[in-house]
Amino acid sequence: MNYPSTVRELTEMLRRGNYLADRGLATAVFVAMSLQRPILLEGEVGVGKTEIAKVLASVFGRTLIRLQCYEGIDTNQALYEWDYARQLLYIRALSERDIAGEEAVEKLFGPRFLLERPLMQAIQAGDQAVLLIDEVDRADDEFEAFLLEVLSDFQISIPEVGTIKAQRPPLVILTSNRTRDLHDALKRRCMYHWIGYPDSDREVAIVTVQAPEVSEALARKVVAAVNRLREMDLAKPPGVAETIDWARTLSFLGETGLSVSTADVTLGSIIKDRDDLELVRDNLREVTSHV
Amino acid sequence: MPMSTTNNGFVTVLVDFGRALRSKGLAIGSGDILTYCAAMAPLDPTDLVDLYWAGRTTMIVRHEDVIVYDEVFRSFFLASDSPVQKLLKIKAQSAAEAESAFEIPATEPSGKEQQEEALLGLMASNVEILKHRSFGECTDEELAAIRRIMARIKFTPPKRRTRRTKTAGDGRKPDMRRTIRESMRTNGEMVDLYWRRRRVRLRPLILILDVSGSMSDYSRALLQFAYSAKRATQKVEVFCFGTRLTQVTKPLQTRKPDEALARAAQLVVDWEGGTRIGDSIDKFVRKWARRGMCRGGVVVICSDGLDRGDPELLADSMERLSRLCHNIVWMNPHKGNDMDYRPQTVGMMAAEPYIDVLLSGHDLSSLEEFATLLPKLG
Repeated sequence: MNYPSTVRELTEMLRRGNYLADRGLATAVFVAMSLQRPILLEGEVGVGKTEIAKVLASVFGRTLIRLQCYEGIDTNQALYEWDYARQLLYIRALSERDIAGEEAVEKLFGPRFLLERPLMQAIQAGDQAVLLIDEVDRADDEFEAFLLEVLSDFQISIPEVGTIKAQRPPLVILTSNRTRDLHDALKRRCMYHWIGYPDSDREVAIVTVQAPEVSEALARKVVAAVNRLREMDLAKPPGVAETIDWARTLSFLGETGLSVSTADVTLGSIIKDRDDLELVRDNLREVTSHV
Repeated sequence: MPMSTTNNGFVTVLVDFGRALRSKGLAIGSGDILTYCAAMAPLDPTDLVDLYWAGRTTMIVRHEDVIVYDEVFRSFFLASDSPVQKLLKIKAQSAAEAESAFEIPATEPSGKEQQEEALLGLMASNVEILKHRSFGECTDEELAAIRRIMARIKFTPPKRRTRRTKTAGDGRKPDMRRTIRESMRTNGEMVDLYWRRRRVRLRPLILILDVSGSMSDYSRALLQFAYSAKRATQKVEVFCFGTRLTQVTKPLQTRKPDEALARAAQLVVDWEGGTRIGDSIDKFVRKWARRGMCRGGVVVICSDGLDRGDPELLADSMERLSRLCHNIVWMNPHKGNDMDYRPQTVGMMAAEPYIDVLLSGHDLSSLEEFATLLPKLG
């Protein structure tokens, strides 16, 4: 796989993977790749933070390894776990045949009984992988400290096996929805980029690329309406993902435009909060006007 | 123009830029500047857009800092009298492109927020009394009081069970790893079973303090209280509001009480002005609570409930808040020692259905009472 040597090339490659990155994001990813640093993406929900990892994996022909973070995630789920059931059976078999020795014990804690979890898989795969650490803000502080260690050296020590080090580090992408502030130490290890909502033209382009069945005219109307929704005082403003969903829904229903009544029945694909729904329903005429 | 052919002049420019950022209060270490220089190597140093984005991605780690970054970048690289211009021989076209690139960040919330802030400031100057409270040095008694609270009271927020486990003799989950390890001693015979138990953690504590005019007698004590709480336990967030909500967690973090209080007071612009509780709680819910700041936590609101705003907004935002946190404690100084206190003000009546515990908070001793009650809220 040939790697891009300029930001423009990278943007073009992403475009071929159906991802329209703006200059800022492309530069951040390009810098992260050339410096072999992880990249931390923050931004509103549904602006394509997770998506870019998938696209990068596919355009570079790498495997995507995903670690979904959640509260209480620990090394056993992120790194490795021993296969206890098999270990037990093995010990039993050994003792029955009375062949337990130094070597057998060695085997017992060898790669055969090791269940690799995402972080370890990524380190094993090295630069053949894109490691996506998704929603890192959901994990707790302790896990962050542990990540820090892994991300700075790309090596893991397993007491029973030894140290495993990536020859060449994988491309690492962390995403955060900012439910809490991450530690500065972790951020300093990473390149940082904030993904905002795209401007109207770009969003129209994104919709038509992601959902080719949607006509550009419809996409333009939907994007205009969504932008109006974002200006409203919503608890959860719609992201790009919702825009695409809405355009898809409308197109699936055979609509070519956006009227008050069609918007009303399809609102569920874009507004997902009861209070917001009420607010939008009261202002539907305004939202769908001039489109 | 690849890096190898450039002279040290270019690196000096980048370092100076990093310094300029640092002088505006951004925490930028030499390591970050080093990364910036390295990042520029494969990029085009005469391209302002590259300079902009590479610097932003390598040196900025907080979304809030982008505004400052933009400002410094503009004055450093784009000002017509900037010496950098000559040195870099920046292409005119790339400069124009860069200018338009700065419009991109403007579509992000940061720009909007700043605008909104400016707008608010204009509007507010009519109705709000903007006032920085000048806290003098703490008197000796006050310092003693702070020390007293901190020494006497254990601020122990209630605990909750986490999904993490630890080894425990009386646990519920088998500790397979340890059991297997130990069974090796006996040829695979499991003699002892080992157990793990879920760990407990302190719930976050969020203090939302009313510092409006009607609360002026108490606001100083409340801030001292917040400072003590912040010093005493880990997960504490502190907000002040009168007509607008300000987060003061960071300034309260220092060890010296005088400095902490002064810095917090400096940050709050609406001391002793009017009160818009509904707006403030609503802002808290939208900006912080929805992101999960108080999830599973205890929210303490210290206010007399004299609200100039719309009671409906207050009720709505309290309802939302109650769904996003574990407990809501309301400390109303006007309750005093009156055990049969019933809410009198409209604001209090609107908020009451969502309050789990209503306490007084009129002096330091009643705050101590709160501290003793705190661990039991779990």
